[in-house]
Amino acid sequence: MQCAESLRVQAYFDREVDAVSAAEIERHVEHCSECRELLLDLEKVRSALRGGISFDAAPAALRTRILQTLDQEGATAEAANTVTRLKAHAQRRTKGAGGRGFWSGAWSGIGVAAVAAAAAFFFVVPSLVSPLSNELVSAHVRSLMPAHLIDVVSTDKHTVKPWFAGHADVSPAVADFEAQGYRLIGGRADYIDHQRSAVVVYQHGAHVINVFTWAASGARSPANTTRSGYHLAFWQQGDIQYCAVSDTGWDELLGLVRLLREQA
Amino acid sequence: MDDKRARFEGQVLPHLDAAYRFARWLCRPGEADDVVQDAVLRAFKGFDGLRGSDAKAWLLTIVRNCHLTAAMQQQRRAFVPLPEEGDADDGHVMIANDANPESETILSDQKQVLDRLVASLPEEHRTVLMLREIEEMDYAQIAAVTNVPIGTVMSRLARSRAALKAKWLQEVEGAPRAVR
Repeated sequence: MQCAESLRVQAYFDREVDAVSAAEIERHVEHCSECRELLLDLEKVRSALRGGISFDAAPAALRTRILQTLDQEGATAEAANTVTRLKAHAQRRTKGAGGRGFWSGAWSGIGVAAVAAAAAFFFVVPSLVSPLSNELVSAHVRSLMPAHLIDVVSTDKHTVKPWFAGHADVSPAVADFEAQGYRLIGGRADYIDHQRSAVVVYQHGAHVINVFTWAASGARSPANTTRSGYHLAFWQQGDIQYCAVSDTGWDELLGLVRLLREQA
Repeated sequence: MDDKRARFEGQVLPHLDAAYRFARWLCRPGEADDVVQDAVLRAFKGFDGLRGSDAKAWLLTIVRNCHLTAAMQQQRRAFVPLPEEGDADDGHVMIANDANPESETILSDQKQVLDRLVASLPEEHRTVLMLREIEEMDYAQIAAVTNVPIGTVMSRLARSRAALKAKWLQEVEGAPRAVR
């Protein structure tokens, strides 16, 4: 037999419920031994999978092949565009200054204005909202390119922390949380917000988490946000601004944030 | 490089590893490469249609669609490919090396068992389990990628977790037990 609450208990485990339901479920679990055991099982399955399954990165040959295909695709699209332009040009010439020319010209003018407005909305607005978040996501993505991730490879905080002294303007909190699933894999110097930033790199399952740190400018810490599928969690501690960036779930990212804040 | 290509490389290609991991769990060995390549090309063609910020869920949705299309075509041809040399390659593992060879060996044994058990789950169960535990997606994202309601995501997750636990107990303790 299975307890009727088991799906809700699972949702609680996956942090998919609001605070009120969470409190209800916690009360239920206190009285239901079956659901207590379910929670333990869920945790066991999760840690076995995250710690034990093989993750393959995309092979370099596949990556190269894909980039080549995109090159070809880009070239084909460009050729097609040129053909369309030439055809349109030829049509305009044969039509001459006929009556329809004016109207089609007028309509295409409206089209151009609409496209320009849409472009302004989609490209200009987000970059006005937060250039810093874009900068952080770019730096995170750059770090995932081969051989960019780590300047100092070490799982030892006593190696990583002193290394920053000569390479960055701040001295961030560095710790290993391997027991909690966040493994310290090294550090890197980067350039964020016009400063030499210290980046501490963690591995969580298949995901890399970059924790960027730089001297807080006195302004309030930016709000947490999501860009291009990457979550950014911001916080300040003393006079250091922190930002953790990753494509993990929010829950997993905030787990590391919590550990770092408690540890300091 | 033109603008579309640059934006595509910035927003979508960072999720190539996730797409590949996902395809490896969906497809038969040797097919993942083609499915991922096909998916990235389709993603590029349809890139202008991407709105909002969740490029990862979007790319994985396309990977799954490409896999379904390929599987359907194969069924139609009733074509069963023979395993090719090199199909069983281990690939390279992304995790940093550990300095302890003994624990490495035990770990790699466990990994093999776990890989096998996960592979033995029905596809729709395996998919939600991997998206939740490895890709760390939330229910709404998983529902979007697998194209089923959230309720179905929840029940599949529950069944796949219970099945994996039961298989694991059977494997380790050698005795069948009631599935809870």
